Amino acid sequence: MSLSHEREDALVQKLKESFPADIKETNIIRRARLEVTVAPEKIKDVAVFLRDKLGFDHPNGVSAVDYNRENRFEIVYHVSSISIKGMRDLVLDLKESVPRNAPRVGSLVSVWSGVENYERESFEMFGITFEGHPRLEKLFLTDNWDGPPPLRKDIRFPTD
Amino acid sequence: MSAPPKPVPLTTVESTETSDSGAQTLTLSVGPQHSGSGHMRLIVEVDGDIIVNVSPDPGYVHRGIEKIIELRNIIKSIPVIERPSIIDASNLNHAWVRSIEEIQGVEVPRRGQYLRTLLNEMNRIMSHLYWLSIYGVFLGHTTMFMWPLGDRELFIDLAEKLTGARITYSYLVPGGVRRDLPPGFAEEAVKRTEYFEKRLKEYDRIFFNNPLFTSRAKGIGVLPKQKAIELGCTGPTLRGSGVDADLRKDEPYAAYPELDFEVSTRPDGDSFSRAMVHMDEMRESCKIIRQIVKKIPSGPIRRKAPIVLPRGVAYGRVESARGECSFYLIGEGGDKPYRARYITGSYRNMAAIPAVLLGSRLADMPTAWWSIDYWPVEADR
Repeated sequence: MSLSHEREDALVQKLKESFPADIKETNIIRRARLEVTVAPEKIKDVAVFLRDKLGFDHPNGVSAVDYNRENRFEIVYHVSSISIKGMRDLVLDLKESVPRNAPRVGSLVSVWSGVENYERESFEMFGITFEGHPRLEKLFLTDNWDGPPPLRKDIRFPTD
Repeated sequence: MSAPPKPVPLTTVESTETSDSGAQTLTLSVGPQHSGSGHMRLIVEVDGDIIVNVSPDPGYVHRGIEKIIELRNIIKSIPVIERPSIIDASNLNHAWVRSIEEIQGVEVPRRGQYLRTLLNEMNRIMSHLYWLSIYGVFLGHTTMFMWPLGDRELFIDLAEKLTGARITYSYLVPGGVRRDLPPGFAEEAVKRTEYFEKRLKEYDRIFFNNPLFTSRAKGIGVLPKQKAIELGCTGPTLRGSGVDADLRKDEPYAAYPELDFEVSTRPDGDSFSRAMVHMDEMRESCKIIRQIVKKIPSGPIRRKAPIVLPRGVAYGRVESARGECSFYLIGEGGDKPYRARYITGSYRNMAAIPAVLLGSRLADMPTAWWSIDYWPVEADR
């Protein structure tokens, strides 16, 4: 396994050239794993660029992370490519942060249709609203659940 | 006291509706109890017997495992992580230990890697056999229900010899595996896989080449290649649509780079293709198991790994029986993770259920639905 990160560096370079002002942070975690943080209002443009120009054709999932001590949520889109064979091992984490007291972001269903269920889960489990989502309803929780979003950090188990 | 439950919405009971065009449709609630395995519901709208709308309604077996993991030591989480799919326990376990090792920077000894691969492939066969027996139930084929469950015992016994447990092994731990090969295991494994391959020919004869099955599965529930990729489908569902994506080849891990096997694909994307991918994979897994017991290197099976999770991020993934299983793991230096996002093959393939059912006849629903190998417990977590 090579220790150089040529592919990853090239991807970061292309993203920075195309969006010089909007890429807040990039981080190559290790081989085939990289993170790109963007401003929430620009995430859709970056996502379309990733899909159409860099070959990231499908989502592996979407994670929401509650940083309650920093008063923010982070939403992470894990995307990969199947069409480019040499890039199939690569997972790019496209990240955005929103304030915890006003968690509203734009949905990426129009870019990757596969994120529909994951965004619904983040909506019910963390209370994050995805604007433009075709069907922002509960997925796993029961229809009559009226408690707080259960995966937030401030929700504790009775035995905890 | 908690508030009384709100009334059940109308869409959850059988109802008829008249659309703008005057056509009358009927909404059916299929499940949460049904003839398959695991509780889940499909809300199906039919016009005559043509399915015009499908909405999966999961969550009946949701356990909040992501939250449970956040509150436990990384080692104590292993038995919990196996629960969503006990028939495929070691593959899910593998995704977890792989992501921990990525953050810790721990290298697993080669013998440990081979033993992990061995149990993974045995689990793949067991999981596919379980799927096949439920497929038999769905299609009213009693023999295909009995045979796979009986033959599954071949591998359950082998797993018991190796790990001490029949179903949920907790065999993979950060740094390696718990136990070494018992004496006489190699001969037993060869004997059982060879017998099983003969049995697979009989499966072909009685089921897969049987017009009772082929006429009900060919051309039914077609998932086109491009659609499968866009929706993020994975595992046999994706390979049944003609995509040769398999993490064992695309991102070689454990002992897979040193083993010889083929990725099974079928081009048509129908229920028959997905079923045949499962069959091919069982044959390949038998080949892999025999290679492993023949060329397993000697040496330690486990390296000492810390029981704390250092500060860091990992996205650890493996090819489980139902496709890619992954953990997005965030460590903050303690013995518990800050966040452990758990995404399984069934969860990803949930998006394919409406795609394969729309436009089908209601009578074709079991064939198309179960060919996706959607395991409700694994999807709900």
